[in-house]
Amino acid sequence: MKFSNIAKVSLKAVMKHKMRAFLIILAIVVGIATLTVVVCLAGGADKKIKESMDNFGSHAVSIHSGGGAFRGPSSASDAIFTKKDLADIENIDGVSFISPFQAQLDMPIKYGNKFTTSWVFGVMPNWKDAWKRGVTKGRFISDDDIEVLAKNCAVGTTVVKELFGDTNPIGKDILVGNVYFNVVGILEKKGQSPVGTDFDNLIVTPFTTASRRLMNQPLYIGNARAIIDDPSEAKRIAGEIREILRRNRKLAETEEDDFKIRTFEGVAKMVKSISKTMSIFFLLVAFISPLVGGVVLMNIMLIAVSERKREIGLRRAMGAKKKQIVFQFLVESVILTFSGGLLGALIGVGIAIWISLSGKPISISWQPFAIAFIFSTLIGLFFGIYPAKKAANIDPARALA
Amino acid sequence: MVKVENITKIFRTGIVETNVLKGVSFSVGEGEFVAIMAGSGTGKSTLLNILGCLLKSTSGSYMLDGIDVETLDDDRLSEIRNKKVGFVFQSFNLLEGVSATENVLLPLVYAPHYPADAAERAYRALESVGLKDRVNYKPSELSGGQQQRVAIARALINDPAMILADEPTGNLDSDSSKEIMNLIRSLHGKGRTVILVTHDVTVARHADRIVFLKDGRVDREEKVTK
Repeated sequence: MKFSNIAKVSLKAVMKHKMRAFLIILAIVVGIATLTVVVCLAGGADKKIKESMDNFGSHAVSIHSGGGAFRGPSSASDAIFTKKDLADIENIDGVSFISPFQAQLDMPIKYGNKFTTSWVFGVMPNWKDAWKRGVTKGRFISDDDIEVLAKNCAVGTTVVKELFGDTNPIGKDILVGNVYFNVVGILEKKGQSPVGTDFDNLIVTPFTTASRRLMNQPLYIGNARAIIDDPSEAKRIAGEIREILRRNRKLAETEEDDFKIRTFEGVAKMVKSISKTMSIFFLLVAFISPLVGGVVLMNIMLIAVSERKREIGLRRAMGAKKKQIVFQFLVESVILTFSGGLLGALIGVGIAIWISLSGKPISISWQPFAIAFIFSTLIGLFFGIYPAKKAANIDPARALA
Repeated sequence: MVKVENITKIFRTGIVETNVLKGVSFSVGEGEFVAIMAGSGTGKSTLLNILGCLLKSTSGSYMLDGIDVETLDDDRLSEIRNKKVGFVFQSFNLLEGVSATENVLLPLVYAPHYPADAAERAYRALESVGLKDRVNYKPSELSGGQQQRVAIARALINDPAMILADEPTGNLDSDSSKEIMNLIRSLHGKGRTVILVTHDVTVARHADRIVFLKDGRVDREEKVTK
């Protein structure tokens, strides 16, 4: 009851000194808005990374023949996978299906007088389930395409943009390497990978057509992607795949693997730790700016205290205890910083939404608000306590003289 | 009611010591109206601050309404100021920008219990100083005399044991001064203890008794004959 009366005094003082209140709130708003934007962006980046991991990795184990590149064809063409390899792998408990594919990096593509380069894949129809990626327009590679070695293809949006601009590519023929393919579909847009690879700069063709016509390696199965039911089993399944492949290839104990098995775990770990480091760095920077607001608060409150010496002396003469004066000024500080925090969080979210319009991922949840409220209140208390104590320690006899 | 014995006050500024009060003794009975008279620079403000529990003496004893003030800590002193002392200042010391009623309510904000009938009490206090038509006026909308009346109403709201007036007419013209002194006299007439500090003998003569201060000590006391 009594403290609520003093809180009312604080509120009235805030309302009365409008310019002072405006300056303090402005300083806090700038700091909290910065913090909020960074929290939203960091959250968005984190969410995006998790999403792309789900899309591209966590449910899959990929195998690559030979000791070649991480992705793409191996130079060791004798170490190919056989249909039996794939069937054996598909029979492992926990593997839902396996999708073989061929890949060729940076093939020259031509349409009319336009050139570009793109990744070209030879895929089976189940590729779209393995990569959780279908077409937004037209159709995907079908069983018939595989059967008849059809020269049909589906293209990524980057390829569409490079070759066709705004015109409709479906039904058009493009030159891939030295073979013409008819565009039958446009692949769903996936954006960039966590490490910056453009997932939309690709062309998918029927597996059989790619093997025979494009890459001229009719028996070659260079890569496959096994889809598993439970990501936490990736390690066990990878182990079993290794055993099967070594057995099928009759590798002796002393011989090294002539294939590679990748789970997404390792990459995911690395990407996660990079993203975490960046988040911490930005958050640290962002946490500093509200502190600057706190210093402004302390400054202005100190001036206010010395301007209001007489009022403080009067209140003391009327019976205010030191702690009641402390309370009055602390509440003033907190009212100001909390309002600044509220406004800053709203403005920050507004800016974050505005940034997201340009395609940057953001995440808006209760967190920025909680951080803004708690942080602004703490700033009010931390930077307000010194001016408040100073006010309480004013000698009333001298202040009233 | 008030009994001070051998009060001294020494101010230290660096190595310089200033002996403002050098052993002041006097007493004021309940319901009495006493003026303390002194020229400027003789420590009368210091004495007033000690009487008002805003300042502690360096040595000596001060009993207020049976309480040994010298032994109390800061919080207890605040409570004494709140409950037992009604201040009236030379420069009124009203809060700017808020109404007369709110100014009068100020001591109640710091009272142990905020009374439910606070607003009514403020109205009655303002009525008793003749300002019932001005309850919503702000200090800047009131004359000096009216402002001092608001201050007196504020001093009365907590029903204090003693009214402590420091040159209450120092900033007023002669007509307003007369009104204010009549008001203070009428408070005394209703049984209030009043201590008035002034350098003006015509003001001091409104009291029952005058204590003359000189050079940090009580020079003499004199009953006023009407």
